Amino acid sequence: MSERQTERETDLERRAKRAFDDSVGALDAATRSRLTQARYRALQELAAGRRSAWLGWLRLPTSPLAPAGALAAVALAALLLVWRAELLPSEAILEGPPVADLDILLGDEDLEMLDEDLEFYAWLEEQPELTAPPAAGDGVG
Amino acid sequence: MGLALSILRNDLATSARGDDALDSGAAIEAFLREVETRAYRIALLGVRDRDDALDIVQDAMIRLVQRYADRPSEQWPPLFYRILQNRIRDVQRRRTVRRRVLSFFGGTESEDAPDPLLAAPAPSGENPLEQLVAHDAMVALEQALLMLPPRQREAFTLRNFEGLDVAQTAEAMSCTEGSVKTHYSRAVHRLRELLGEHGEEHWNERAAD
Repeated sequence: MSERQTERETDLERRAKRAFDDSVGALDAATRSRLTQARYRALQELAAGRRSAWLGWLRLPTSPLAPAGALAAVALAALLLVWRAELLPSEAILEGPPVADLDILLGDEDLEMLDEDLEFYAWLEEQPELTAPPAAGDGVG
Repeated sequence: MGLALSILRNDLATSARGDDALDSGAAIEAFLREVETRAYRIALLGVRDRDDALDIVQDAMIRLVQRYADRPSEQWPPLFYRILQNRIRDVQRRRTVRRRVLSFFGGTESEDAPDPLLAAPAPSGENPLEQLVAHDAMVALEQALLMLPPRQREAFTLRNFEGLDVAQTAEAMSCTEGSVKTHYSRAVHRLRELLGEHGEEHWNERAAD
């Protein structure tokens, strides 16, 4: 390649660059506005990506602890269930029998006897003649 | 422009040295602002459609920040232009496929649409005559560039218009530095032939400045 040819190519390169720069400088406002919008959108993607990365970083330290946390939650739930199960009989007693029967349950009588003669005692309570006061002058006594 | 790009790179390098993400965000914004108009003109040269060119630039910007924002700022120019060139080729391939499909079904794309290159606004010169000369010079140059093989055109636009060095151009084109030198040399040689042999009056007038 001759020196003259090299000079011509260099000159061509210079002119080409100048023509290109001129054309870039002549871009209309609407196109520039669209390009600005495109840039802002790209930067929004950047911000969104960094937010996502930040949230991911926040998750990272807790992720190794997640199984332990789940285990603790399960253990707590089990403990509550057991505790609740222990409460259930007392509640059943409180809600089930009438308060009037408390003295029986709290008394010293044999509960097995109550179980066996429960129907008898129920029948006995329904008998009015047995619960009514004795008539005066019936010759007894 | 090369000096401006160099200054920009120095500024970007200085900014990127900070560990603060805000500095990095400001640096990449400055980079995008610097390259967006030239990237648009290069995309327009490749696809000859304003909306497609704008979409290409936007996609290139988004992909750069999504994938390479954390890279050193010195790496952004070749990465950005590699993405840009890939997107330009994607659009060109889709058009080729579309033309084949239309041809198969007996249809044709409208050829009455105005050429955006020819319809491009005149440069903002100091007077209308200078604007006209500059505009015609660019039209002549673009018409000549369109006659080059794609790889030669890429090498020329990246080296000449964007001011990338040989190594950066090789990275942007995903080829060796030797290939860049070959493509660029052939592009310049062919452009000289086209712009000289066809006697582009306005180009020669511009050249006489």
